[in-house]
Amino acid sequence: MRSIVFCKRTIKELVRDPLSYIFCLGFPLVMLLIMTIVNNSIPEQAHMDLFQIENLAPGIAVFGLTFVMLFACLQISKDRTTAFLTRLYASPMKPMDFIAGYTIPLVVIAAAQSIITFAASFVVSLFTGYTFQIGNILVCILVLFPSMFLFIAFGLLFGSLLNDKAAPGICSILISAACILGGIWMDVDAIGGMLGKVCRALPFYHGVKAARLALQGEYADLTEPLFIILIYAVLIYVLSVFALKHKMSSDVK
Amino acid sequence: MSKAIEMTGLSKKYRDKTAVKGNNFAIEEGTLFSLLGVNGAGKTTTIKMLTGLTKPTGGEAYVCGHSILSELDEIKKISSVSTQETAVAPNLTTRENLEFMAQVYGMDRAAAKKRTDDVLKQFGLDEAEHQRAGTLSGGWQRRLSIAMAMISHPKVLYLDEPTLGLDVLARMELWDVIRAMKGSITIVLTTHYMEEAESLSDEVAVMVNGEIRALGTVEKLKEQTGKETLEDAFVAIATRQQGVR
Repeated sequence: MRSIVFCKRTIKELVRDPLSYIFCLGFPLVMLLIMTIVNNSIPEQAHMDLFQIENLAPGIAVFGLTFVMLFACLQISKDRTTAFLTRLYASPMKPMDFIAGYTIPLVVIAAAQSIITFAASFVVSLFTGYTFQIGNILVCILVLFPSMFLFIAFGLLFGSLLNDKAAPGICSILISAACILGGIWMDVDAIGGMLGKVCRALPFYHGVKAARLALQGEYADLTEPLFIILIYAVLIYVLSVFALKHKMSSDVK
Repeated sequence: MSKAIEMTGLSKKYRDKTAVKGNNFAIEEGTLFSLLGVNGAGKTTTIKMLTGLTKPTGGEAYVCGHSILSELDEIKKISSVSTQETAVAPNLTTRENLEFMAQVYGMDRAAAKKRTDDVLKQFGLDEAEHQRAGTLSGGWQRRLSIAMAMISHPKVLYLDEPTLGLDVLARMELWDVIRAMKGSITIVLTTHYMEEAESLSDEVAVMVNGEIRALGTVEKLKEQTGKETLEDAFVAIATRQQGVR
């Protein structure tokens, strides 16, 4: 009951912030259009398929999730900085009410964002000539859930550990790392050496790869990247829950 | 009259500093009790211990008969706190903030709505009902913050420097709000404004370096120190050497 009450409050706080629309929705959609235009300017001889809509759409979906992380982080750090959470700590709310109250609204927002991204990609595909399979889109959205939890967990973690001034800076670094090393703006499969190893050791590449495989109906190859992203999501989420609970007690001492 | 709060040897020690030194005192039910002291005297730490925001390192306290060591869940249901800083959700309207707090304390939607209607009237917040809390003036935000603390029908209300940073008019308006609540619940107030304590309190305690140096009605403290105003009495008590009473 209290979790649901706190969920409603978090959703209202997030959707009433105009920056949420600009960054969580506007920016990814603008990037979708820009990269589609860029793709049209790349000659076929370059054999560059990174920005073709079937690869671009899942990449943009993950790109959008990085901003959900930013907003999760900002919301929690802002709540912690003000006395609002202190008041709630003195109320009958339990730690799990806070954790669920932050996580559930963010998952809803992340899922809505992915649906809108694929709807926009579907429209773009009508002009580029690619035919999306609706079933594949639905599977792709499901496959994105571990990535949603991963980025929300990073948001919870940084929001718990950092104040509202430090949080945006650290999140920006992670957004850049996720986009580049995750293979959204760079063809990681063509990279070897140390950089390639780093990309494959981090979760972002596997999240993007799983989404791309799902969208293209290559379900047989999904297991490995999906398993890796799932493990990372669980680990970071557990870590973030621990950090949030720890900060809840240390903030008021 | 029964006791709303009883403390026996309540203390809080941080690594190298003792914030509250084994205080013993009780607060009668239905009274407004002011905790006075300079910055760092231990007032806020005492409130934090009584509300479960921090654990004591020694002693015990009972709020309406419930132990702060073993019955914190019960205490959280019957007490409420309005912190030094304004504690509202800025993107929620005045009504939404109140309904949110009512539901946090276990009311269903219908009960929360009805209670919010009453509190909006009680605190004169009707005209700002649909305004987002973040756009309210400092005085109105503080008024909302106290209203949020009152929404749950608490038996004990802690007001930690409720008028800090407010202009004279806003402060006096809040005094009226606090006066209107007197008698129906137990209020523990911390403040740096002596005229506020003098105007509102049934009983005051002066804390110095974590310990209670004086306790009683305003008149009693003035009499004890031979001073004419509470401010002078407070200065006399606060600057008195420890052990010389």
